[in-house]
Amino acid sequence: MTQDSSRLRLGVLGMVVLSLFCALLARLWYLQVLAAPTFKVEAQHNSVAVVYTEAPRGRILDRNGKVLADNRVVLALVAHREEVAKRPEVLQRISDLLAVPVDELNRRIADERYSLFKPVPVAVDVPKDKLIYVREHQSDFQGIEGLQLTERVYPNGTLAAHVLGTVGEINDEELGPRKADGYKAGDSIGKSGIELTYEKELRGEPEIAKLEVDSVGRVQRSLGGQAAIQGDDVRLSIDIDIQRAAEESLDQGIALARRSTDFLTGKTFIAPGGTVVVTDPRDGSVLAMASSPTYDPNEFTNGISVRRFAELNDPAGHYPLNNRAIQGLYAPGSTFKLATSIAALKSGLIAPRDSYNDQGSYTVTGERSATFTNARGARNGPVNVTKALTVSSDVFFYWLGERFWDNRGKFGTAAIQDVARSLGMGIYSDIDLPFESNGRVSDPAGREKLHKDYPEAFPYPEWYTGDNLNIAVGQGDTAITPLQLANSYASFVNGGTVFSPHVGSAVLDHQGQELRKIEPKILGRNELPASIRDPLLTGFRGVISDPLGTGFAAFSGFPLAAFPVAGKTGTAEVSGKQDTSLFTAYAPADSPRYVITVVLEEAGLGASAAAPVARRVLEAIAVKEGIATAPPAAVNRVDGRD
Amino acid sequence: MQAPRNPAAPYRHLDLTLLLSTLGIAAIGVLMVYSSTRQKQETAGLDPAFYLKRQLVYVALGLVALAVVCLVDYRRIRDFTPMLYGGAILALLLVISPIGTSRRGTQAWFQIGSFQFQPSEVSKVVLIVALAAVLAGARGSLDTAGLLTAMGVAFVPMALIYVQPDLGTNMVFAAVVIAVLLVAGARPRHIAVLTLLGITAVALVVQLGMLQDYQRDRLTAFLDPQADTQRSSYNLRQSQIAIAAGGLAGRGLFEGTQTNLSFVPEQHTDFIFTAVGEELGLIGGVSLLTLFGVMMWRIWRAAVLARDQFGRLVCVGVLAMLVFQVFENVGMTMGITPITGIPLPFMSYGGSAMIASFIGIGLVLNVHMRRFT
Repeated sequence: MTQDSSRLRLGVLGMVVLSLFCALLARLWYLQVLAAPTFKVEAQHNSVAVVYTEAPRGRILDRNGKVLADNRVVLALVAHREEVAKRPEVLQRISDLLAVPVDELNRRIADERYSLFKPVPVAVDVPKDKLIYVREHQSDFQGIEGLQLTERVYPNGTLAAHVLGTVGEINDEELGPRKADGYKAGDSIGKSGIELTYEKELRGEPEIAKLEVDSVGRVQRSLGGQAAIQGDDVRLSIDIDIQRAAEESLDQGIALARRSTDFLTGKTFIAPGGTVVVTDPRDGSVLAMASSPTYDPNEFTNGISVRRFAELNDPAGHYPLNNRAIQGLYAPGSTFKLATSIAALKSGLIAPRDSYNDQGSYTVTGERSATFTNARGARNGPVNVTKALTVSSDVFFYWLGERFWDNRGKFGTAAIQDVARSLGMGIYSDIDLPFESNGRVSDPAGREKLHKDYPEAFPYPEWYTGDNLNIAVGQGDTAITPLQLANSYASFVNGGTVFSPHVGSAVLDHQGQELRKIEPKILGRNELPASIRDPLLTGFRGVISDPLGTGFAAFSGFPLAAFPVAGKTGTAEVSGKQDTSLFTAYAPADSPRYVITVVLEEAGLGASAAAPVARRVLEAIAVKEGIATAPPAAVNRVDGRD
Repeated sequence: MQAPRNPAAPYRHLDLTLLLSTLGIAAIGVLMVYSSTRQKQETAGLDPAFYLKRQLVYVALGLVALAVVCLVDYRRIRDFTPMLYGGAILALLLVISPIGTSRRGTQAWFQIGSFQFQPSEVSKVVLIVALAAVLAGARGSLDTAGLLTAMGVAFVPMALIYVQPDLGTNMVFAAVVIAVLLVAGARPRHIAVLTLLGITAVALVVQLGMLQDYQRDRLTAFLDPQADTQRSSYNLRQSQIAIAAGGLAGRGLFEGTQTNLSFVPEQHTDFIFTAVGEELGLIGGVSLLTLFGVMMWRIWRAAVLARDQFGRLVCVGVLAMLVFQVFENVGMTMGITPITGIPLPFMSYGGSAMIASFIGIGLVLNVHMRRFT
C-alpha cells in the first residue's frame, strides 16, 4: 500500500467524521431553533402538575345540630394498577408490612368499583408509622402511594338514608355540565338525597396545588396554589328522634303485617315496603321521612361494587334505594275523601247536614249499571259528611261521586279532581329532594290523553259514572305520593296554605353561624270558611276518638286528652295485589304541629296496619313533647274496618 | 538563535490542543453531571455533590491513566499486546460468570466496594491495540488471511460482550474494526460487505428477539417517536423536549427544569447531552461539538503524521471509537440514531468509560509525540 493510498483512506475516514458532525450540528440547530417553539410548550406543560384534592364535604345536621353525615380522615395506601401489575414483589412487601395476604390485596386491586385510571385503595386505616415507612422506602413500593383520604361517613348507618342520599364518583353525564364549576373526573358528587340537592353548598372548594413533578410524578417542590375550603354544613328540618321512631315503627308495622293473615286471600301479607312522613303543617318542613326497605349510604362511600348495586336494584329486594315517600305512587283510598268532601261542600252539592242512608251498597243504574259496596259490606245508616268521614262510609261518597257526574254541566267534569290538585295531589311538591314523582289524579281529560298516548296500558278512553264513584273514594287510576297526601292534609289543617315541603332548613358555616335560611315556598292557597272546615275537622277527629271511628281501635290507650289526634284511614285496592294500607293524621287536633302519613304496601286495612304505626310515632312525639312519659310500646296490629 | 538540545524529545511534541480539548470536554461533563443530579440528590436528602465528587475522581483517574500510557513508548505497548488481549478476554469471561453483577438484564460489571467496573469499556482500547498490532504488518493490500485474522481477533471479545448482552458496545467494536480495516488497506469490497454484515447482524439481533423487550423498544423507538410517548420512546421524546427547550442561549446552568426534574431518564449518564442542550442552548451545544471536532481533528492529524502503521492504526481505532460514540450518543438524544446504552465520552457519569477514553487519548498523544523518535 502506498503512502497515497493510506492518505486517501484517511481522507475518506476524515470526510465520514466530518459529515457525521455536520449531521449532529444540523439536527441540533433544527431542534433548538426551528422546532423549539413547538417543543417548548410541551416542556412547560410537563414540568408543572396541578393537583386537585377535593375539600371535605360539609356536614349534614338534624334540626338540633346532631350530625347525620360527617367526614372521617383515614390514612390509606393506594395502588396504581398498571405499575403494581408490573411489580408483583411490591404487593408481597405490602403484604409483609401489613400482615394481609397477597391474595386479599389482589382482590382489593381487582375491585371493579374503581375506575382503571384511579388508584385503588389497597389498605385503608393504615397505622401512621407504616404509612411513613412506605413513603420513606418509596423505591421498594413503586406504584403504591400513601395518602390521607377524607371519607364521607354516616354515623347513624341507615338512619334517614333516603333523605341524606349518597355520594359517589362523578360520571361523564354529570361531569359535562359541571366542568365550568371546576369538577374533574374522579371527583365525588352527591348522587341522591340532600347530598345531591345541596351539592353546591356541601362541596366546598378543592385544594389546588401547583407542583413541580418529575417524570415519575415525584413532587420536587410546591409552586403554591389554593388551600381547600370545606363545604358548608346543611341543617335539616329532620328531627333525628322522630326519624328514628318513624323508622322503627315502620319496620315493626311491616314485620307485623308479614305475620298477619289477609282475610281476602287467606295468605299472609307480603308487605314489601312502606313509608312514614312527618311534616310540620305550619311551614311545610319535613320532620321525618322513612322509607322501607332501606340501605346504608356508607356502602356507597368510595364507590359501591357493581354486584352490590345490582342487589340493591333487584326487584326481589323491593328496591331499597327508592324513597317511597316521594317516589312511591299509591291510590290514596279513603284518605282522598278530604278532597271529595271539600269539593262537595264548596260547590254547594251538599250542605254539612245533608245525609244519605248508607245501606252498605250503592247501585249505579243506566247502561253500565253496577253495584258498589262498602268495605266488608258495613251498613252505616244515615250519615252526613262528618259521620261519613268518621266511619268511612264509601256509600256516602259514591252518592257524591254520582251526583257530581250527573251534574257535570254545572260542576264541570273534574270537580273533585280540581280540589285534589289544589291540595297538591298529583303535582310535583317541589320538595328539595331529587327524583320526586308527580303521580296523577285521574279525570276524564286525563283518561282520554292516557289512552291516546298508551293505548295498550289504558284501553278505555271513556269516563263513566262508575269512574266518578271510584275517584270519590280515592280508587281507580289515581296515584299520589305519600308526601303529597301528607301535604294535602297539612294545607287543610293550617288554614289553606299549600307549602312546598322542604327538608333543608339552613346553610351554616363551621362555627354554626347561619349563612342562609332555606325559606319555605308556597305552592298555593285555598282558604275555606269555617262552615266547610269544621264539619270535616270534626269528622277526622271522630275517626280517632269516636268509638265508631275507623282509627279508634288503633289509638286506644293513647293520651288523646293531652295530645288529641285526628286523621283518616284508607285502604286502597290494587288489582293483582293485596290492599295498600294508608293512614294520615294530625296532632294536636286543635292546633296541629304535626302531620303524619303512613303507607304500607300490601299490608291490609289502613286501620289495621298503617294507623298503629302512626300511633307509635305520635307516641314518641308525645314523649318528646313531655306529654307522655312511657316510651312507646311496640306497634300492635288491630282489627278494623274501613 | 540557539537550536534546542533535542528537538525530537517526546515532551516537546505533546499535542496540547488535543489534551486541552479533552480536558475542556471533561470539565463541561463534570459540570453537567452536577447540574443534572444536584436537585434530585437534595430532594432525597442526600449529598447534592455526590455525583460531582465521584465524577471528579473519575477524571483524575483518567488523567493518571493517560499519563501512564504516555510515559511508555507505544511501540513497547505493542509488545505487550498478547498479554493485554488475554487479560481483556479473561475479564470479559469473568464478568459473565457469577462474579459479575448485572443491572437491568445486562451482566457487565464487577462490583468493587461502592464502585462498579465495566471491563467491556477498557476492552475497547485493548481491541484497538490488538487490531493495530495484527494489521500493522500488512503494509500494502490487506489479503484475505489478514482480514480473517483481524476479524478473529475482534470476534472473541464481541462474542463475550454479546452474551452480556451489550449491543451498544458491540456496535462500537464494529465501527472500530471497520475503520481500522479501512485504513489498514482492506479492499473497498470487503469494507462494504463488512458494513452490510454489521447492519444485518444488528437488525437480526433486534428482530429475533435476542434482546429484552425494553432494549428492543428503546432501540427502535426513534423510528416512530410519536407511537407512545409514555413508554419506549419516552426517553427520546423527553430528551428532545429538553434540548429544544434550551433554544439558542439555553436556560442557564442549573436552570433546566426538564433536566432537574428527571423527565429525562439517565440524565447524568447516557443522556448527559440533553442537559447541555437545555441549559447551555445552541451556543453550548455547538461549542461542545466543536471541542469534540477539534479533538477528532487532532486525532486524525496524529494518524496522518504517525511514524508507523501501528501508531496510525491505533489513532484510527481511537478516532473511530470516539466518533462513533459521540455520534451515536448525541444523535440518540436528538432522535436521529437508535437509543443504545453508549456513554458520551468524557461527559457521561461513570468511571470505566472515562478511564478507557482517557487511555485512548493517551495512546494518541503517545503516537503523536513519538513521531520523530
